[in-house]
Amino acid sequence: MEHVRVTFPTVRLVYIDGEESGNTNEVLRVDAGTHLFALGNLANYRPASRKVMVRDTTALEPLQIRFFRKDAA
Amino acid sequence: MKHALLAGLLLLAACASFKPQNPPLAKYAPQAGYRFEHLEPGDNSDRLFVILTFSGGGTRAAALAYGVLEALRDTTIDWQGRRVSLLDEVDVISSISGGSFPAAYYALRGKRIFDEFPEKFLYRPVQSELIKLALSPASWPKLAAPAYGRSDLAAEFYHREVFAGATYAEVIARKARPFVILNATDMSTAAQFPFIQDQFDLLCSDLAGVPLARAAASSSAFPGALTALTFRNYAGSCEYRQPAWVQLAAEDHASRANARRTARAENRLSLAAAGPARPYLHLTDGGVADNIGLRGPLEAIASVNHPWSVLQRMNQKKIDKLVVIVVNAATNPATGRDQSASVPGLVDTLTTAATVPLDNYSFDTVELLRRTVEEFDADARLVEGCNRLAARKGEQCALRLAVPHKVDLYPIQVAFDYIAAREERSWFKNLPTTFELPRQSIDRLRAVGRRLLGEDPQFQSLLQALGGCLAGGGRTC
Repeated sequence: MEHVRVTFPTVRLVYIDGEESGNTNEVLRVDAGTHLFALGNLANYRPASRKVMVRDTTALEPLQIRFFRKDAA
Repeated sequence: MKHALLAGLLLLAACASFKPQNPPLAKYAPQAGYRFEHLEPGDNSDRLFVILTFSGGGTRAAALAYGVLEALRDTTIDWQGRRVSLLDEVDVISSISGGSFPAAYYALRGKRIFDEFPEKFLYRPVQSELIKLALSPASWPKLAAPAYGRSDLAAEFYHREVFAGATYAEVIARKARPFVILNATDMSTAAQFPFIQDQFDLLCSDLAGVPLARAAASSSAFPGALTALTFRNYAGSCEYRQPAWVQLAAEDHASRANARRTARAENRLSLAAAGPARPYLHLTDGGVADNIGLRGPLEAIASVNHPWSVLQRMNQKKIDKLVVIVVNAATNPATGRDQSASVPGLVDTLTTAATVPLDNYSFDTVELLRRTVEEFDADARLVEGCNRLAARKGEQCALRLAVPHKVDLYPIQVAFDYIAAREERSWFKNLPTTFELPRQSIDRLRAVGRRLLGEDPQFQSLLQALGGCLAGGGRTC
């Protein structure tokens, strides 16, 4: 079992491989392998999605996957 | 003249073309069909998520599973301010072979199973009736056709005598949980083949048109005694789109990050390959791939890439308690082999070669459930422990590490191995695998299923947590 934390300034739904799977800024469980992370169809964040290999994480040190507001520097 | 007529009939049958029992799907429709998310939860809350698995083992397995269903019906719990039957909280049933008969019947008839199933199936000499049917000259022309086997004959019998002509359309129309998954094995890939629309999407076939009896017959097509069943693959004809994870997982070969996920992706790609690459599928007993029906649920618990992913629901904080009840009718018949110096015969050797790997695999599958539960517990304990340790150093050291959503897990096992008395355990472990058992044996199996469920320490913990009791069990209701 792997652990990720998808970060964003506000609470948003997290989509893993196109399926709703929890919220931003929380530790989420995911199986190892390459996954596609996104925050849904809203256009005000970047990048639009992130393709990430998830492996060798722990619950203490989840992989951080960062998203930003589009208007942020 | 008589012989010539018979030969003619057989020749005619042999030339008969294959008539698929699984219709094509006109267009891929993810919003329709037999899928977990389309079933009305009703009063069944996801907060308490209950999965049952019914193993193979002929009528022995069917009766044991039925006994557990009866016990769950008679178990009441306090849940969300109501007194409910634990059976009403069951979300998923995954079944194999003999266990697929009560599972399918429950999917079709709900609680009417308790009035109808014992006489329709359990106490019936199904095996004798099947043999009589196969030996009847009326069946010979059909059996002579290359695309028709003994399991097709059995499927027709179950269709007529057990499931009253029902197809999956009737199960879909009920829109009720539990989501019942009958499992067979794809002979060519040795992969598990679940009878759900997500799987039939790959074949561009509509599960709604498949007789429930055919699914049960595929799941219980015990190799040798029964033949595999043939299904038509229409892949490429319905504009099917694989879920996003499939391509991602298929690109993970070299990274070796998750070989099981990659294999699942490749299996989906192989079934859905246009052409189709495999125009026909041959399904045999579900026990060949997994004799306890637990592999699918384990994938659902440990993967976000699953047609009814439990992990997704955990991440969404929808599940607080996860209960997995494994009903395993595995036996270990005594043998006189070691009383003699004689070299074991061919049948003995082949039977051992066929069954021992399955039994070992079943053992490992149950171990995998235990390890998965431990992994969840260990993760939660680790983070909570770190937070506690840091907090003891003072407020300035508080870590406040985020904890994954906490889920209480209850792995429950009903198996003859847990019968305390040696003599009684031995009696159950020597019951044969057949579709016909004496009435007294059936009654003992039903009773022991109920008793073993009540005695399971995890089941007792669950009842304690939910203020529950099993009527006739240790606690007063």
